[in-house]
Amino acid sequence: RYREASNLPLPVLPEGWAGEKDFKTTGRLSAATQRSIEPVGPHFLAHARRARHKRTFSEDDR
Amino acid sequence: MAAEGASATASAPGERIAIGISFGNSNSSIAITSVDDKAEVIANEDGDRQIPSILSYVDGEEYNGQQAKQQLIRNSNNTVAYFRDFLGQDFKSIDPTHCHASAHPQEHESTIAFTIQDKEGDEKSTVTISEIATRQFRRLKQSATDFSGKEVNSAVITIPTNFNEKQKAALTKSASDAGLEVLQLIHEPIAALLAYDARPESKVEDKNVVVADLGGTRSDVAVIASRGGMYTILATAHDYEYAGVHLDKVLQDHFAKEFIKWNSIDPRENARSLAKLKLEAEATKKALSIGTNANFSVESLAEGIDFASTINRLRYETIARKVFDGFNRLIEGVVKKAGLDVLEIDEVILSGGTSHTPKIASNMRSIFPETTTVLAPSTTPTAINPSELQARGAALQASLIQEYESEDIEQSTHPAVTTVKHLTNAIGVLAISGDPKQGIFTPVISAETAVPARRTIHISVPKEGGDVLVKIVEGGSHIKVSKPDPKPKTNGNKDSDDSDEDSEEDSDDEPEEQRERVWKVGNVLAEAAIRDTKKGSKIEVMINVANDLGVTITAREVGAKGGVRGNLSPP
Ligand SMILES: Nc1ncnc2c1ncn2[C@@H]1O[C@H](COP(=O)(O)OP(=O)(O)OP(=O)(O)O)[C@@H](O)[C@H]1O
Ligand SMILES: [Mg+2]
Repeated sequence: RYREASNLPLPVLPEGWAGEKDFKTTGRLSAATQRSIEPVGPHFLAHARRARHKRTFSEDDR
Repeated sequence: MAAEGASATASAPGERIAIGISFGNSNSSIAITSVDDKAEVIANEDGDRQIPSILSYVDGEEYNGQQAKQQLIRNSNNTVAYFRDFLGQDFKSIDPTHCHASAHPQEHESTIAFTIQDKEGDEKSTVTISEIATRQFRRLKQSATDFSGKEVNSAVITIPTNFNEKQKAALTKSASDAGLEVLQLIHEPIAALLAYDARPESKVEDKNVVVADLGGTRSDVAVIASRGGMYTILATAHDYEYAGVHLDKVLQDHFAKEFIKWNSIDPRENARSLAKLKLEAEATKKALSIGTNANFSVESLAEGIDFASTINRLRYETIARKVFDGFNRLIEGVVKKAGLDVLEIDEVILSGGTSHTPKIASNMRSIFPETTTVLAPSTTPTAINPSELQARGAALQASLIQEYESEDIEQSTHPAVTTVKHLTNAIGVLAISGDPKQGIFTPVISAETAVPARRTIHISVPKEGGDVLVKIVEGGSHIKVSKPDPKPKTNGNKDSDDSDEDSEEDSDDEPEEQRERVWKVGNVLAEAAIRDTKKGSKIEVMINVANDLGVTITAREVGAKGGVRGNLSPP
């Protein structure tokens, strides 16, 4: 499943850009907030199942 | 079948017949899901889908629902009404206001009870709040059982978001004493949201939702982050000053005054007259939700005098303005409390009986921008009956979990599973518009998304294709306020200005400010290069955030092999 972004395009790769295997990390995520998700609905049940079996999304997809 | 009064113990999943119950101070309703997974609210033996949460006793016989409500006129002492919020409370902390014209709650041992004549003969009994609620649940269970032809033995029940552990325990015990195993208690606004999201035409989207549950004696509002079908409550507010009964009161006073004008008798001074006035005011109010005119007519309102009058909707909306303004303030307040702006709300769900009122929906239409969907009968023809949302949501949840072992349900609802990290900022990709140096944030994962989370977007390459840059960044949503062509201030002496310095809304003659939602680009997280893309092709970007906030990014040209993949360590 994917979402179609608005029709603005990606930028052209700047001259001289370099990264190992064409990838470069420049930062990390900001700290997160602890909150409670509501244990309701089909998507929560899928989440709980993954959490209980310590499975990832892609393992769950299979 | 369980013996009378026996508690329902956890039954084996295979033996469950489960329903959804919404149990309010004013009304209860019950819903079941049919084989095609659609929830439907079912009528009781009187044909009512909204069953007044009232019990009344005449010569030892028990009446419930609409029949019990009628008893408020002649038999108010033996009629118990508006009791749900007393469950699990100390006598000192309850508000008995709404019980003035029915059996009064009183302190009894460590709980609350009513003294009513509920058996044949003159003997009175003291019936605890727990037992009253059990009797109400028995009636609901019986109605559902009669409807489905099989004994209903379990339920998902909706509760307000501010119910504490004692209240939850008391409610569970009352239901269980009526022979209903409580599979789960779920929050009322979440049940309403689930009822909408379960419709086949609704898409799983990331959206900020306001659920305004406007009932009879209370109004409750919640702001919910709905992310990939998972729900997180960001803020709530509860109000007991502006609710359905306050709209009734406005009409009551209006017609009482008219009656006084003709007859010089105040029907509010006699208990029976007042009860009649109240019931008819409510009926008139409901009629005004459908028609633009409504009748008010009571036989023998006071001292044997009949009374009939009419009112139009505009007049009603004018005299009830204070109450409507109260709803508006409550709803605007909780959006602020959630740290959001009205521009950031995607959907407003009007729930609860009072939400049938067209004026409330039109007020929402003017408070929220056009981009916000307002789900109410008068604004959206396909809206679900607001009185049925909670029971439906509860029934849907019941059908989802009734096959589970009780321990599994308990484990899944445990804080160890439900307390999780939520993203502070959105994560997205930079696109470009006119100025190639100016990146435009394109969100991929919204703020307040619970982790782990995974989202994928497709985004265009420049016209000519070639080598492109995928820049992954954090973004924050902001409200940009601008005043088109502001008039220069001619008043040199600023201090003489009588409005507050920080007040946004200065004088009336200034052009109206424009407010728009914009993204501010924050932290740059990663960059990836996709080379040799074809003209007119698209890039698929997948962002996967793990439990520990480590991020995996993959980007590839749609339809092409390979692609780029990289990881960000957790913060
Ligand atoms: N069509 C209608 N138009 C306007 N108001 C209505 C309509 N139908 C029901 N109501 C009002 O809705 C209120 C009851 O709402 P609801 O059934 O959601 O209550 P509840 O959740 O049981 O109440 P409480 O807030 O007391 O716990 C009553 O004041 C009733 O008059
Ligand atoms: Mg309610």
